[in-house]
Amino acid sequence: MTVEVMIGRGRDAIDMVVDPGSFHENQVGDVTFPDDIGPGAVVGEAAIDGRDVVVIANDAQAFNDKFPVVYFGVIGLEEAYKMAKVVYTTIKQDADKPVGEKRPLVLIVDTPGNGPGKIEEIFGMNKATGSYQLALAEARKSGHPVIALVIGRAISGAFLCHGLQADHILSLSPEFGTMIHVMPITSISRITKMDIERLEELSKENPVFAAGPQFFYQLGGVDELVENVEDMRPVVARHITEVEAAKLAGDGDATGPMGHGTLGEERGGRMMRRKVIERMEDEFASVAQRYL
Amino acid sequence: MSDWKSLEAKSFYGASARERAIGIVDEGTFTELAGPQNRMSSPHLPVLGEAVEWDDGCVTGVGLIGKHPVFVISQEGRFIGGAVGEVHGAKMVGAFVLARQMYDRIKEEHPDELAERLPAVVISFETGGVRLHEANAGLLAHAEVMDQIQESKGKFPVISLIGSKVGCFGGMGFVAAATDVIVMSDLGRLGLTGPEVIEQEMGKDEFDSADRSLVYRTTGGKHKYIMRDANYLVEDTLGDFHDQLTAIMDAPYDEIVKCRRIGSEELVDEQLALAELSVEMAPKDARDVWAYFGNEDVDQIPEMTTAEFLAVAKRR
Amino acid sequence: MALRELNFTFTPEDPRPFPLGWSHRGVVGSGDMEVMFEQADLGGQVQVKVCTPVVGFDEVWERVLDRCIKESQVSDVSIEINDNNATPVVVAMRMRQAIEEARKEAE
Repeated sequence: MTVEVMIGRGRDAIDMVVDPGSFHENQVGDVTFPDDIGPGAVVGEAAIDGRDVVVIANDAQAFNDKFPVVYFGVIGLEEAYKMAKVVYTTIKQDADKPVGEKRPLVLIVDTPGNGPGKIEEIFGMNKATGSYQLALAEARKSGHPVIALVIGRAISGAFLCHGLQADHILSLSPEFGTMIHVMPITSISRITKMDIERLEELSKENPVFAAGPQFFYQLGGVDELVENVEDMRPVVARHITEVEAAKLAGDGDATGPMGHGTLGEERGGRMMRRKVIERMEDEFASVAQRYL
Repeated sequence: MSDWKSLEAKSFYGASARERAIGIVDEGTFTELAGPQNRMSSPHLPVLGEAVEWDDGCVTGVGLIGKHPVFVISQEGRFIGGAVGEVHGAKMVGAFVLARQMYDRIKEEHPDELAERLPAVVISFETGGVRLHEANAGLLAHAEVMDQIQESKGKFPVISLIGSKVGCFGGMGFVAAATDVIVMSDLGRLGLTGPEVIEQEMGKDEFDSADRSLVYRTTGGKHKYIMRDANYLVEDTLGDFHDQLTAIMDAPYDEIVKCRRIGSEELVDEQLALAELSVEMAPKDARDVWAYFGNEDVDQIPEMTTAEFLAVAKRR
Repeated sequence: MALRELNFTFTPEDPRPFPLGWSHRGVVGSGDMEVMFEQADLGGQVQVKVCTPVVGFDEVWERVLDRCIKESQVSDVSIEINDNNATPVVVAMRMRQAIEEARKEAE
């Protein structure tokens, strides 16, 4: 097995996942995206096993000269709106196609965060990251398979933005240095005032706070860990097929965040979630008549 | 239980999550669901030696506004900053699930009265986002809530109320942005990256989190109102929030959703244009933006009462 | 350091049964607590369970609770407390509020 670290190599990852030479940057159907907006996000169409897909990736090498906080894969205002726009464009172009023919969206994830600056807050970074998530959710619900592949960093709000709205989420295994977390364990240690050694010990039993794709796997937040870079393409292709089958079967909650909730229970990682929702349903059933 | 009428006069800013849940719906109509008696507290906090709360910092239930069944989510900032863990997040999702079931039921049982009986989800935010002690579960719960907001579109409104001490930050900042309507008080604060985190990541020169007036200028209710990121700005009482909710629910659904700031290609175009404008404008402070949109005496704006401000405010 | 659980039983001299099915007060803020009172057929006794992250105050808890129950003579109730470092003054105040308000509400 070759361990080839992919952190910071979003563009390389696109080439490794899609058919050779098939990626057309900034092109989605008949729409051409300007190349001077949101350089931290790489978008375009490509093919996987001959089937058209739309790719959205992070470029950790790019600097956004207009927004100095955007480099290293950060998703800034422009990046998030550009990503959202690509999704809406895809939905619109495929509106008349039946489920099964709508183009899959493939998200290649390597991002450390959302733009954290003063300008970003004044103009509302929360809207930018929110709009991309709503767009992905709409694509997923309207029948586009959405597959995320974490190749490097998938950190906190940026992972929510670019990844967690997908139908299925894949991640290179921890040997590749893949990082999925809200905060590193050192920060958790500072906040909880517990030794790192003790926290690491505890995380073996309970995956809810520890950093790493294997813990998200246990919680149902990652569907499958990919062990070799050579496997990225076939695994993505297989998940497109699986997700499409679920959509054709008509079960919208089998994939996506709600599906990942169910998976988290099956894997023993999130055991309270369903109990809480069911309790609310039970209690409401006994008073519902008063509200009708 | 506190008397509803005296609750209405109470400050929204200082009210507990349960008081807000009771006070934002009509008198005597609130029923708590999965309340403290159920003891559905976090299974993850005890392991870390952290105190638990039986409602996990999230009061959920149902009430009425007129004939509208309103599913309430109310976050408690005093409990771990209102942060979202597995149970807290599941309660949020549960409220959406119930609202959707109710919507389907009303459509079936009262097809002619769907408009006047249209349900809603109302979220009274007080949170910094993900709870770090169970961060991974909290993060995944955020994604579920976003999914549920999208699922509600085209059916019933989702309304945000922001005016509590902790404000609404982190992942919950974009959850609020994704809802149909945002109601804030002057004291409400909304953002993605909290002031302390900006300072930590960018330095005190970029953002001094101890500068309260700077924090309010950047994230506060008046700024968000000027930017049209908040649709309504109200006085800081539970009664004013309740009245605004009543006015919103009186409007037809098609009118309500015009309050959205994101959630369609057209709105993304509009926001992207605003992001480009931010480059051109290069403001040093939110005041520069207020002036750009035609407000005079921008130094006076933070000092104005809500009524004075609403009388003169020029919005984007 | 997992959360600690403390259990106490008290026997008031002049028992006055808790008048409501249940009552809940308080928020688990820093330096604060929540308390749940639930009617229970305990033959005039009171059971208290305290869940706390703080170590080494078992006797203080017992004294504060004992004083509170002597003062109110509340009985036939199961009391549960989620504590987050509440001071004895806060504990006594929350308990008193809960009992007084429950008695007022039951009238």
